[in-house]
Amino acid sequence: MPKLIIDNREIEVPEGIKVIEAADRAGIYIPRFCYYAELGAVGACRICAVKFVDGPVKGIEMSCMINAQDGMVVSTTDPEARDFRRHVIEWLMMNHPHDCPVCDEGGHCLLQDLTESCDHGIRRYKGKKRTYVDQYLGPLIQHEENRCIQCYRCSRYYQEFAGYKDLGVMGIAQRIYFGRYAAGVLESPFSGNIIDLCPTGVYTDKPSRYTGRRWDYERVPGICINCSLGCHITVSARYREIVYLEGRYSGKVNGSFICDRGRYGFFYANLEERPRQGRVRGEDVPSGRAITMAAQRVKEVSESHGAAAIAVIGSGRSSLETIAALTHVCKVQGWRGPVLFDSRVSSESVRTAVSCIAQELAVSMKEIESADFILTVGADPINEAPMLAMAMRQAWRKGAGVAAIDCRSLDWPFQFEQVTAAPDDMADFLAALENSETTVISDRFVAQIKSIAAKIRACHRPVVVCGTEITDSKIIYGAAGFVKAMRQAGQEAGLFYTLPAANSYGAALLDEIGETAEDLIERIESGEIKALVIVESDLWDTFSDRQRLIQALEQLELLVVADFMATEILHRADIIIPTLSIFEAGGIYVNQEGRAQWSPPAYAGGTPIKITGQGGHPPRIIRPDIPAGDISPAWRMAWWLADRQPPASHDLLLDWMGKTFPVLEKAANFTSEGIRLYLPEARRKTARETGGRKIQSLGEYLLLPVAAVFGDEPMAQRSPCLEGYAKHPEMWMAASDARLFDASDGDAARLQLPYGPLELTLRLSERIAPGTLIVYRCPDLFWQQFARSSRFIVPKDRIRIEKKA
Amino acid sequence: MYPQVLLKNRKKDRILSLEEYREMGGYKALHDALTDESFHPRQIQELLLDAGLLGRGGAAFPTGIKMKTVPDDAPHPRYLVCNADEMEPGTFKDRVLILTSPHQLIEGMILAAYAIDAEIAIIFIRREYETAARALEQEIGRAREAGYIGKNLFDSEFDCDIIVHRSAGRYICGEGTALLNALEGKRANPRKPPPYPTVKGLWQLPTEVQNVETLCCIPHVLKNGVDWFKTLAVSKTGAGTKVFSVSGKVNRPGCYELPMGVKLSEIIEDYAGGMLPGSRFKACMPGGASTQFLPESMYHARMDFDDLKNAGFRLGTGAVMVFDHKTCLVEATANLMVFFARESCGWCTPCREGLPYILDLLNRIEAGEGEVEFIPMIRQMCSHMNYSYCAFAPGAAAPVESLLTYFEGEVMAHIENRGCPFKIGKVN
Repeated sequence: MPKLIIDNREIEVPEGIKVIEAADRAGIYIPRFCYYAELGAVGACRICAVKFVDGPVKGIEMSCMINAQDGMVVSTTDPEARDFRRHVIEWLMMNHPHDCPVCDEGGHCLLQDLTESCDHGIRRYKGKKRTYVDQYLGPLIQHEENRCIQCYRCSRYYQEFAGYKDLGVMGIAQRIYFGRYAAGVLESPFSGNIIDLCPTGVYTDKPSRYTGRRWDYERVPGICINCSLGCHITVSARYREIVYLEGRYSGKVNGSFICDRGRYGFFYANLEERPRQGRVRGEDVPSGRAITMAAQRVKEVSESHGAAAIAVIGSGRSSLETIAALTHVCKVQGWRGPVLFDSRVSSESVRTAVSCIAQELAVSMKEIESADFILTVGADPINEAPMLAMAMRQAWRKGAGVAAIDCRSLDWPFQFEQVTAAPDDMADFLAALENSETTVISDRFVAQIKSIAAKIRACHRPVVVCGTEITDSKIIYGAAGFVKAMRQAGQEAGLFYTLPAANSYGAALLDEIGETAEDLIERIESGEIKALVIVESDLWDTFSDRQRLIQALEQLELLVVADFMATEILHRADIIIPTLSIFEAGGIYVNQEGRAQWSPPAYAGGTPIKITGQGGHPPRIIRPDIPAGDISPAWRMAWWLADRQPPASHDLLLDWMGKTFPVLEKAANFTSEGIRLYLPEARRKTARETGGRKIQSLGEYLLLPVAAVFGDEPMAQRSPCLEGYAKHPEMWMAASDARLFDASDGDAARLQLPYGPLELTLRLSERIAPGTLIVYRCPDLFWQQFARSSRFIVPKDRIRIEKKA
Repeated sequence: MYPQVLLKNRKKDRILSLEEYREMGGYKALHDALTDESFHPRQIQELLLDAGLLGRGGAAFPTGIKMKTVPDDAPHPRYLVCNADEMEPGTFKDRVLILTSPHQLIEGMILAAYAIDAEIAIIFIRREYETAARALEQEIGRAREAGYIGKNLFDSEFDCDIIVHRSAGRYICGEGTALLNALEGKRANPRKPPPYPTVKGLWQLPTEVQNVETLCCIPHVLKNGVDWFKTLAVSKTGAGTKVFSVSGKVNRPGCYELPMGVKLSEIIEDYAGGMLPGSRFKACMPGGASTQFLPESMYHARMDFDDLKNAGFRLGTGAVMVFDHKTCLVEATANLMVFFARESCGWCTPCREGLPYILDLLNRIEAGEGEVEFIPMIRQMCSHMNYSYCAFAPGAAAPVESLLTYFEGEVMAHIENRGCPFKIGKVN
């Protein structure tokens, strides 16, 4: 451990870190533009120059290029070093436009800050400034290349860190240009990070352009809930709406970056269509009144049909507080539920995964970056949990091998080897990898499986990533079993599941029954259930048999829907109760590794001024209260629905949760990095074979809807700026199957399904498992009809191919 | 007339054929090195070190030492790269050397490759040198047929192939580490050693980069011995000959092979035919655009790496650009700076932004808009170039610094007269 002195302060740092990082650890800030911890040090901008006064290095050197060594004496304030840094700023400001007043970066601009702090004030350069033509980079990022100071952060991030090629650097000398070869929408689903990375205003957030300065905003650390990973974000709010989200550093979860779905998936909270007052049988009422009336009606149903005639549905997008409150209320009132899973398959998968994950097996996403081999089974990170793909790429960059067992044509920004397996065969492949038992798998895969098995055996820190969407509980158990076996063999193996929603894990922690919406529908049909309370869930979007759903809803005496989004089911409710989003209520979310993280409220709530002001500027509606400021968080509402008093404050709620649910005992006192929660041994499911394998016969195809990064996440789907990002309806088929249809890539496929015809563009790939048809979920498609509540088998004669013109 | 070594067989309008080269004793050194069982490839390194062969690309790094930095247990394949990306303004010796005798270079490369056990040799050639590139490709083919290139050379264990690669066409590609990035298909930004290319170079494998002229010397050192090579020079510490590219206000500009340490005055008067009629010597650049001006006081200086270094100058590539008393050195320096400002790779700030800034100030001085405070500004910026990423910017600042050191009066005259004295006729 080298000891060195920086600005008269002696510090001891780990071997191999740069002087700039050593200074950071001591709380001494050395100016930087090109240096960014996660992108590494490259020595381009020269602003981090410091004076090495004594020790193994002498004179002015770049602190990002020199390793901290024993005996170094470093001065960051040496006059010579300061003078040089002042000149570096002068050079950078030669061409930088003085457009700070109209630049969105102004106020949080690193160049602005360092120009001030490095004491460059008077422009001496008399020449002209060079100018560039800006590019259209899509609806998310505004490009303003004139402001560029050539720090190379964007191109290094985009190409080296993220692995995409369509944005980079062109030209040399003062003609250097950062952008795309031709204007166009950026291809990477991680593109927004260049906004956070750019030290000045070359890339700024487009949807929030010209809305305010950093200091105008209420800025709060938050947790992203657009997938199960729980990445750390910073929320900026102003005038009762969310302005933008940024990546926030987490040494356990996401590092510094976030995906574009998370960054832009917040607009549901701002939308005009969002429910902001109660509604009872078509009439607007204050939110509190709607709750009282709902409680009254629920009580009536309970009195006439018994408490069991009332059922509650929640979901994995609710906070742990809400799920806990619903669970408690159902229990004490004798109501059914809460049902927290869409279908039997997803309930089984998620609860199995949560049951398998244990303290010693779980790895955090950040730990995946240091894995030396990654095996994925039925997981498509880029579409299911995007930042996981970034973590895997970092491991790959350090030399880790990646292999995938999957039936999809996976497309990831790094090299990997795919074993193309039908969903029914994935468990066998996994078993073959674990115990070299290759008799059950097809001969043509034996060599590949053996070679992957050898690679896994040869490494020290393998990680198995297992999806829960297209896998069954046998595979999910299998993944955990494989990891345990490797650990017994002395490898530091880790286990990582992806889950369908931000709080699926939290739901599985509290849900001891595992009842699903299907079960409830059956009971509505049989007349057992007369009243349904749906909280932050949308059956319309998740239940596959829509005809059956409509009929079931008609049989109900009461449908109460409480949500912070204008879902389809909301419009069919007798009573609508608005709830608060995570940005107004805050909430605990348990990510897929079991990490419970608290996301505090970012603003007090209420209808955005943009909406109440009706476009006028300045808004001149004067009133004593906050419009729609009376909405309660769903957890409070849960108690009120049962005519009971909720805990008086959030702190008391946490105390109550810890006392009521043993599994949440630690939930009240966690740190900024969250706390890991695991199911107690007694509640873990034991492995059991799932029912006999359902092999479809020749001439039958398994139609499998799968996740798409911008296609199906219920919240991000509502963001206007992401509209163009959803895939067009496509159906992927194995190239070998396509020969039977004489079909080629780009043909039109027409499927005759029970609900009518389905038109899709046919795509072919060698990496689709034969007998499988893959459809990426997208808003333009009624994919719910073949959702995986039941295996959807399509006979060959129901598939028609029309040649493209 | 001094002995001719590298340019001995220079023919008018044609290259030396393989047969002619063999008749002159060509490929004998290679044959002997590979067939003599008592001769270890490492001995080539020792010989070159003893001979005092210094890199002729401008940096004058001892060739033997560079070879020794390839570790014995370094991985394979190893690479030898011939840097023929000759873009230093005023320098044209490599082109002449290739077009004189391609086989001299080929033999030198195979020997250098043998010395470090490199199995792949690459000629990274400037794309404007298409004629030379084609000549090399043709002669490499002939050498391969004759068994000088390929597998198991002279029935030894040693394999070596030569590839001709045309450069991406920028000055910075000639910088040793930027060249490696360019070869890998990346942007030609320099790399920051360590690791040095001899440890982790092309594709992170050991790579030795040598200049054309350096490689051409190797067969002669092996064939004629260390002492012979040393006696070729006329300076105390120098060794071998130096091919000077002479240009500017002289009667016979061209390429001249002269002993290391020959006097500048001798080059100009005896070989380049003296100054043009009506011209007096004012200054010259001894080794291309990135070296300091040699003022008149250095007219009799010995053109040797050590001699010039000790006097505060650099021999560089030995490209002697001669300026006469009618040439405005402010304008000449600004002209050089146009080149450097344009050719900066754009990686680091001092070079990318500082050089155009210096150019702007020089242009203003030349145009009569100069201010006295420009001079300390330029001086300071030139000294700041030492804190840039690679050696490009300090090289670009060298002529400017020497302009202010030796010709400050001329610069001041521009400022005081509000214009270029050469243009408004105040100096004859």
